[in-house]
Amino acid sequence: MKWLGLTSGIPFALSVALAAHADLSPPGHRPPAPDAHAFINARVVVDPSTVLTNATLVVRRGRIEALGTTVATPPDARVWNMGGASIYPAFIEPHWIQGGSGGPLNTSQFSPVQGSQPFTANGHYSFYGVPGDERDPGAPGVGHELSTITPERRIASQFTPDLKGNEELRELGFAVACVVPERGIIRGQSALVSLGEGNPNELLLKPDLFQHIGFDSESGRESSYPKSLMGVIAAWRQTFLDVRAHAEEQAAYQKSPTTRPRPTAEPALEALQPAEAGRQKVVIEPGSVLMMDRAIRLAQEMKLDIALMACGQEWRRPDILSQWRVPLIVPLAFPSPPKFAQEDDWQQVSLDALRGWDWAAENPALLRQKGVIISLSTHGLVDKSEFRRNLRKAIDRGLSESDALQALTLAPARLCGVEDQMGSLAPGKVASFMVIDGSGNYFDPDARLREVWIEGRKYATKTDAPAVKPDKDKPKADKGREIEKKRVARSPLEGRGPLAEPQAVLITGATVWTCGSAGNIENGSVLIVDGKIHSLGRVITVPPELGGKLLRISAEGMHLTPGLVDAHSHSMILGSVNESTLPSTAMVRISDVINSEAGTIYQQLAGGLTVANQLHGSANPIGGQNAIIKLRDGRLPDQLLLAEAPPGIKFALGENVKQSNWGDKNVTRYPQTRMGVRTFYLNRFTAARQYLASWKAFASTGGLRPRRDLELEALGEILEGKRWIHCHSYRQDEILAFLRLMEDFGVKVGTLQHALEGYKIADEIARHGAGASCFSDWWAYKFEVYDAIPYAGSLMHQRGVVVSFNSDSSDLARRMNLEATKAIKYGGISEADALKFVTLNPARQLRIDARVGSLEPGKDGDFVLWSKSPLDSTGRCLQTWIDGRKFFDRELDAQRTSVLSRERLALVDKAKLVANNGEPGTGSTAARAAFFRRALETSRQTEIQQCQDCQLPHSAP
Amino acid sequence: MNFPSIHVASGVGRLTFRHTLIASTLLLTATLLPAERILFTGAMVHTVVGPVLSPGQVLIDGNKIIDVGERLDAKDARVVDLTGLRLYPGLIAATTTLGLTEINAVRSTRDTTEVGKFNPDVQSWIAVNPDSELIPVARANGITHIVPVPQGGLVTGQSALVALEGWTSESMAVRKPLALHLDWPDMSLNLIPKEQIKDKTKWKSPEELSKERQMELLQLEGFFHEANAYLRAREHGVRTEINPTWEAMRSPVKSEIPIVVKADDLRAIKATVQWAKTNQFRLVISGGRDAAMAASLLASNQVPVIFEHVFDRVLRDTEAYDHLFRTPALLHQAGVTLAISAGTGDSAETDIRNLPHHAAHAVAFGLSPEEALRTITLNPAKIYGVADRLGSIEKGKEATLVATDGDLLDLRSHVRHMWIAGHAISLETRHTRLYEKYRNRPPSP
Repeated sequence: MKWLGLTSGIPFALSVALAAHADLSPPGHRPPAPDAHAFINARVVVDPSTVLTNATLVVRRGRIEALGTTVATPPDARVWNMGGASIYPAFIEPHWIQGGSGGPLNTSQFSPVQGSQPFTANGHYSFYGVPGDERDPGAPGVGHELSTITPERRIASQFTPDLKGNEELRELGFAVACVVPERGIIRGQSALVSLGEGNPNELLLKPDLFQHIGFDSESGRESSYPKSLMGVIAAWRQTFLDVRAHAEEQAAYQKSPTTRPRPTAEPALEALQPAEAGRQKVVIEPGSVLMMDRAIRLAQEMKLDIALMACGQEWRRPDILSQWRVPLIVPLAFPSPPKFAQEDDWQQVSLDALRGWDWAAENPALLRQKGVIISLSTHGLVDKSEFRRNLRKAIDRGLSESDALQALTLAPARLCGVEDQMGSLAPGKVASFMVIDGSGNYFDPDARLREVWIEGRKYATKTDAPAVKPDKDKPKADKGREIEKKRVARSPLEGRGPLAEPQAVLITGATVWTCGSAGNIENGSVLIVDGKIHSLGRVITVPPELGGKLLRISAEGMHLTPGLVDAHSHSMILGSVNESTLPSTAMVRISDVINSEAGTIYQQLAGGLTVANQLHGSANPIGGQNAIIKLRDGRLPDQLLLAEAPPGIKFALGENVKQSNWGDKNVTRYPQTRMGVRTFYLNRFTAARQYLASWKAFASTGGLRPRRDLELEALGEILEGKRWIHCHSYRQDEILAFLRLMEDFGVKVGTLQHALEGYKIADEIARHGAGASCFSDWWAYKFEVYDAIPYAGSLMHQRGVVVSFNSDSSDLARRMNLEATKAIKYGGISEADALKFVTLNPARQLRIDARVGSLEPGKDGDFVLWSKSPLDSTGRCLQTWIDGRKFFDRELDAQRTSVLSRERLALVDKAKLVANNGEPGTGSTAARAAFFRRALETSRQTEIQQCQDCQLPHSAP
Repeated sequence: MNFPSIHVASGVGRLTFRHTLIASTLLLTATLLPAERILFTGAMVHTVVGPVLSPGQVLIDGNKIIDVGERLDAKDARVVDLTGLRLYPGLIAATTTLGLTEINAVRSTRDTTEVGKFNPDVQSWIAVNPDSELIPVARANGITHIVPVPQGGLVTGQSALVALEGWTSESMAVRKPLALHLDWPDMSLNLIPKEQIKDKTKWKSPEELSKERQMELLQLEGFFHEANAYLRAREHGVRTEINPTWEAMRSPVKSEIPIVVKADDLRAIKATVQWAKTNQFRLVISGGRDAAMAASLLASNQVPVIFEHVFDRVLRDTEAYDHLFRTPALLHQAGVTLAISAGTGDSAETDIRNLPHHAAHAVAFGLSPEEALRTITLNPAKIYGVADRLGSIEKGKEATLVATDGDLLDLRSHVRHMWIAGHAISLETRHTRLYEKYRNRPPSP
């Protein structure tokens, strides 16, 4: 009865144990089978490192009584002569959704915004006219106000054995599974169950095993918060903060129930207390490799004990997992190559998709190589019978059989905290094992799994014949297997990262556009040492100690400028650019979802861009927090951040936030007019001011700690001058109203983004001190830009506003220098001033000009070499350097492209061979559909991401 | 505190009024005067067909160029001194939605896209708004003629050559019909992964998609066969009742006008060329994203290309970042007749003013400046069969000229004068008006 020790007194027991104490079975029933068995003449795989031949295994009352080569057969045991067949410990499935689709998590979907019922409420996410305002916003009954946060949900309380599902898993040798809740963000608590037959009480082994979290931006009702990946993370963060706040509030109330207000009932938050305190393990399904990193970092921030669901894409960034010690649950679902009607259809298949297919089977071996503890799972397999063949593919790709066995037995046993009961065969452990005929090797899919014993009870398997018809299909199958064994795909990290990393670099003979006080220097030189600009001028002396470490670049006839800075970009964001549900989403952070794997990084480097301000979209008056990054291709998201950049936040005015172009259904969310936009800000800033006051009062007089509210915290930082507003704005009236309101709150606005009619109120903007970050010449794509003019930049510049031109587009971001040229054409400002529109001025607007934006001693070694003047439309970017490291070189690009093309062609050949020689039984429809699954990191490769990606059906810039 | 702003507003009003008055007087004078002989002198003349005359002279009489040379004898002509400027033929926007859309996000201002798959009898030129605020902006960047292309369906309709000058849409449509436009069926398979489709039952395998694609192609081919049968029946008097849809197919099927097929994907380009060859149609390909992959096929079949993707991002992760920048140079090297266009995509009607900028980008990546100039002047004129009147500065051609203060392909240059068919054109735009108004705003108190 050891099981009882593992649970908190919830009644359940082994069926065999019960039977032992039971009375006689009623007349007419078949009496229970004898409860002692001896398996003789067996090959016993005791654990991944021990195999006994010609051994005897004795089982009594569902437990192993004895095991060895010299064990005697007890007289009362029924004897089973194994005749040399193999006995393996039964497997443990660590992640099973009963009757679920088992599909992979899709984190990138964006749902169109739909109508809603107006209702006022005082909840944390309640704004007028948004879904979630209803009296009972979550699931029916008490719960969390977000319907996707259901930590109180317990599989144990709703568990019904799925007999068919149990049988499917038994066929593969599993005896126990962790049944997990499906869908949602904080999903609820799983339970460990036996896969035998019996009633729920008999089969439930361990309730409330793990809490489960998924980065699921799809479930929940349409248009209710959160619907973006960054929103999911923000909701997770806030919920765990609320757990503590609620507990403190409860405690305070218990102490003085006659004076304190009664706290609301919060079963969801209470159910999270064990996880929050690190007493209950949390299994997180991040859905993509970069989110694996994010999940681990967040869990550390919250001090959680976690395991992760692998996404199958870990090969993209194996460096992420090698730096952490987090156990992984690894689904064994692999894609199969498609067949096409036309040869040219292969043109449509990207290198990335082919790599995804070719790497899939190697992923488990790669994880082991990196020292990750893995447990294998059938999750994601629509047809579970593919499991053993996929397992062999993984072994063919380097996963050792002992590692595979470990990952199916002891590793999941440890993960589930039952390693003293199962996972290997030893006296005292539960008698759950399987019998393999034929070669006796489980990892040979042709070897028949004859029967599974669970807790001393026999379950025969259905499959009699081997899956492969030996004579006819075998040679073909073997050929397919041979082709698949060898990986052709390279790591996507190959060829990325700095192309040169000299300790010092000296560029001579160039026309140097300093964008600083030195102006332009003809025939100038620049010296960069340790990533910083050391000196520049017509003649510079190189410190003698640099001697051998110096890289010299002779740049006669070339032009050298600072790296270009884009004050408005959405190019490197994972998932939706907008958390478009609530009118204020100040709590979401772009820094949580930086996409270091975006192909646009290289394309923009090739246009001389080095710094980009990643902004939330413009779907709501108060958007998310921004992240300023350097395009250090090859580095991880957190290594792209420009660490010293002061924090900022996206705001937006006008048509987008009042949902003017969202269709006729979207007419209820506050605000719907420019009048309401201002009123909304007034409301939120007043709330933020009070929020700050409550913390100030707590600091001075103590009492109950205020609840941390991540939305108001961010807005409070604006009030304290610690966070800069970057406000998407069009019309002069809305800009003025906004500036005046911010002035009332003592807030200076960082930048007006776009500011298309800013030229009409240039003096007012200059006097306020906001920068204007404009489009060069976009206009007339919607009504509020009918008065946009290309002279706006020059005109504001001439009236004293700090002006930049931004891209807001992964297209324009590749030629920001030519956007600057338009300021010369329209309004006639000087060439030096025009270039500053994309270098020094955006740097000043983002308050990073101490680091970047001009070439001056002490600043970062970010520069670009051009074939002609950067303002000449027939010139080209030749090299791009960041921190004294070369990240783009046009001369090396042809080589880069041809290597990639060759790799792709080799992969296409392989895919065709495999598709034509594939093993029967693999390449199911589901596996072939999975071929086209795109990783979150690369799924938007060819889309041009802009502010209003949220706007359906008609997207305008 | 309201008084000052009222005062400012009325001041601005006066200014605008005066400004508009001057502009409209200019326009009226130009249009109403009888044909006049003018000698343009002093400018560097980019004839497009011959060497650059530096400086050269151009003599026009009414709407025609009657002579071009280094020194012309034209005693009776009025002399217009263009010293310091360069003279070019007017630019042609080979495919555009200019005139059919005012504000993209405002549905009521969009007249680009008809419903239905077969619309050969839809005529774009009758819906061009002569007073669109977007037209002067295009003109101010050198564009004198456009081909407004109807959108939507497979056979999308007919276009005309539209001059950006005239009192009515009728007088602006100077050659009609100019071409029939087709949007080739999408040959790319919609390989969206199953889990990213809302309704999972709607997901289709490559096999199913491939069948659907075949059906659509058969439908298109059938339409042209039936058109042919109808026209034969009419010719032989077998059929008396008239069908406007089939009637509209007469000129394209008889190759009197070209068929411009929008095809971006390699498969679509190949299929289009094969189809036109079989049926002996006059084919022009527009779009042409993957044209470089089929360059020799296009050249050997003498299929011209209107390339619309100079600035676009590459589609495939194995294509060089500059693949589309270089495509014009690659096509030209292969011997393809090439026009460059800003296209018909979202907001293309406002981006059209950057047409010279599109051509210049091809220069940065290998096309010669002379050839780049041809892609926005003479080549589109040839492609549409209007090179007899447009596309170069030659004796006998229309007096449609643009004078700039620098190289036309240099983004920093400005168009200083424009003549369309001999008429001097105002270069004032909504932008210059607003600029003048707010540039002169007194400092705010």
